[in-house]
Amino acid sequence: MSFLDSLAAGLSLVGNIESFLALFMGVAIGVIGGAIPGMSATMAVALTLPFTFAMQPITGILLLLGVYKGGIFGGSIPAILIKTPGTPASSATILDGYPMAEKGEAGRALGMALWASCTADVISNLSLILFAGWLASFALSFGPPEFFTLILFSLTIIAGVSGESLLRGALSALLGLLLATIGLDLVYGTNRFTFGDPNMMGGLNFIAVLIGLFAIPEILAMVWHPTAHVGTARSLGKNWVSFADYRRSFKSIVRGSFIGVFLGSIPGIGAAPSAFLSYSEARRTSKNKENFGKGEVEGVAASEAGNNGVAGATLIPLLALGVPGDVITAIIIGAFMIHGLQPGPMMFILNVDIIYGLFIGLIVSSVFLFLIGTVAIRGFKYVADIPKRILIPAVLVLCIYGVFAVNNNIFDVGVMFVMGWVGFMMVRYHIPAAPFLIAFILGPLLEDNFRQSMLMSGSDPSILVRGPITWFFWAMTLLTIIAIVRAGVRAVKGTPALSPKVKD
Amino acid sequence: MTQRQVQLRLGFGALLAAIFLAVYAIPAWVSSPSNVGNVILSPLFWPYALSGFTGLAGLGLVFSGLRLEDTGTPVNTPSENPNAAWLRLAGMAVIMGLTMIALPRLGMVLTSMLIFGATAFLVRTRHPVTAVFCAVIIPLVLYAFFAHVAGVAIPQGNILRLP
Repeated sequence: MSFLDSLAAGLSLVGNIESFLALFMGVAIGVIGGAIPGMSATMAVALTLPFTFAMQPITGILLLLGVYKGGIFGGSIPAILIKTPGTPASSATILDGYPMAEKGEAGRALGMALWASCTADVISNLSLILFAGWLASFALSFGPPEFFTLILFSLTIIAGVSGESLLRGALSALLGLLLATIGLDLVYGTNRFTFGDPNMMGGLNFIAVLIGLFAIPEILAMVWHPTAHVGTARSLGKNWVSFADYRRSFKSIVRGSFIGVFLGSIPGIGAAPSAFLSYSEARRTSKNKENFGKGEVEGVAASEAGNNGVAGATLIPLLALGVPGDVITAIIIGAFMIHGLQPGPMMFILNVDIIYGLFIGLIVSSVFLFLIGTVAIRGFKYVADIPKRILIPAVLVLCIYGVFAVNNNIFDVGVMFVMGWVGFMMVRYHIPAAPFLIAFILGPLLEDNFRQSMLMSGSDPSILVRGPITWFFWAMTLLTIIAIVRAGVRAVKGTPALSPKVKD
Repeated sequence: MTQRQVQLRLGFGALLAAIFLAVYAIPAWVSSPSNVGNVILSPLFWPYALSGFTGLAGLGLVFSGLRLEDTGTPVNTPSENPNAAWLRLAGMAVIMGLTMIALPRLGMVLTSMLIFGATAFLVRTRHPVTAVFCAVIIPLVLYAFFAHVAGVAIPQGNILRLP
C-alpha cells in the first residue's frame, strides 16, 4: 500500500463528524481535567477510558488522545495562576509562569504557554508520523529474543527514571511483574495464585488495576487531607502574548520541542524531565538569562514546549513496538486491547487505516488544542471553583461504574479498591507507580517472549544474545543501569545530578 | 517517617515478601504439571525468578538505607490532625467494604448514591445541599449512559429498579 493509499484509508476512517467530535471533546475534557488541581492528565485519561467501550476503536482512541493532549496543556493553567501544577509535567512552568502572574502578566504567560504547546504538539506529531513507520518496519525483523531484550530495556529505564531511586523503581516493576503472573500459566494452563477463584483465572483486570492505582489514591489523599489543593487564582491581567514574544522565544520553543521528541521516544522518561531540560537549556542560551525565574516569558515557552513535545513522541514506541512509553500511553494501550487491537509493528500492516487515521486525528488535535486552550484560559476561574469535596465522590462513583463496565463484574470493583490502597501506600512510601503499571502490562509479554526463546533454542540461554539487535538492547540496559547508579553515587557525594534525592 | 526509615522499611518488606513467596506462596499456590522436564519452561520458574529479584532489590534497599544519614526530616507533609486523618481513612475503608457488600444487594445506582453522600460528608463538604443533589443526579446520569448507550447490564438490586 502506497503512502497516498494509506492516507486515503486513514481519512476514510476518521473523515466523519463522530471522530472529530470525539477528538474535540477529548481535548476539552483533557484541558479541564488537567486544569483542576488534584486531578491530572493521567487520571482524566483513566476516567475517560470506560466511556470508549461503546465507541468504534478509532473514535475511542481519538477521544483518549485528545484527553492526553489537552491534559498536558491544561496542567499549565493552575501552574501559572495558583502555583499548583495540574500535572507533574507542568512543574517547570511554575518557575517563570507564577512570577509573571504575580506581576499581573498571567494572561501573557498563559498565552505563551498555549502557543508553545501547540507548536511543540505539531512538531511532536510530525516526528511521530516520520519515525513510527520507519521504526515499525525495522521491528518487523524482531523475534522473541529481540522483544525480550527490548522489553527488559524498557522496564529498566522506566524503573530507573520514574521515581527518586532506581531500587524503588525496580521494586515497583517487580511487584507489577509478580501481579501479572496471577492467572492461568501461558504455556501449560495451570493455576498461578488464583486461589481456586474463577475470577482470578484470567488474571487481574487491567482497567481495574490502573484506575485503582491512579484514581483511588487521589481520593484517599483527599480523604487524608481534605483542604489540600486550595489556592487563590491570580487574575489574567491586561497584557496578552504578542507575536514579538513568540518570535523571540521561537528558538527555545523549537529546541524544547525536539528535546521533548527525543526524550518522549525513549520509554519511561516522560514529560517532566523534558520540561526541566528544555527550561535549563533555554536559560543557558538565552540573552535574558538573568530574568529566568523572575517571570521570563521565554522560560514559560521553553518548559511548555518541552512537556508538549513529548505527547506525540511517546506514541512512537507504543505504535511501532507495542511498548508504552509512559503511564498515559499504558492506559491508551489498554484502549487498543479492549477493542481487539495489538499495537506493534504488525499493526502497520494489518491496521494501516487506523494508524493513518490516528495521524490525521493528531494533527487536527493541535488545532483543537489552540481553540479550546484559548477559551480555557479565560474560563479557568469556573474550573477552579469546582468544589473538590464534591468532585472526589463523583470521581469515586465514576470509577465504580467504569471498572464494572469492562467485564460486568463486581469482583473488578474490589480489585480496584485493593489496588487503590496499594497505590496510596506506594505514594506514602515514594514508590513510583508507573513502573508497576507498565510492568503489569508488559509482564505477560516479557515472560511469553522469554519462554518462546527458550523453546526455540531448546533452553539454551545464548539465544538471548543471538545478534546485533539483542546486543544493542543488552548494552543499552547495562548503560542505563550504570548511568543511574552513577547518578546515585554522585548524589551521595553531593554532586548535582538529575533527580536523585535518594542514594542507591 | 524519614528517608532512611522509608528505605529500610521497604527493604525489609521486600525481603520478607521474597522469603514468603519462595518458601510458602509459590509452592502452595502455583501448580506445575509433573511431566515438565525443563525447569526454565516450568510455570514455577518465572515466579521464583521474580521472588529472587525482589529479594535482591530488598537487600539493595536495606544496604542503601543503612548508608543514609537520619536527618530527621519527614518525607511526607505531616497532617494537621493525624488522628482525624487516620479516622477518615478508616471511614473510607469501611465505605469501600460496604460498597462491595451493598452492590449486589442494593444495585449500583442506589449504592452509588449512598457512597457519594457518605464520602462527601466524610471529607466535610462545605456544600451539603449540592452534595445531596449530585449524589442523586450523577449515579442516575452514569446509569443512563452505561445502561442505555454502552449497553452494560448495570446491577439493579431489589429496592430500586430503573428502566
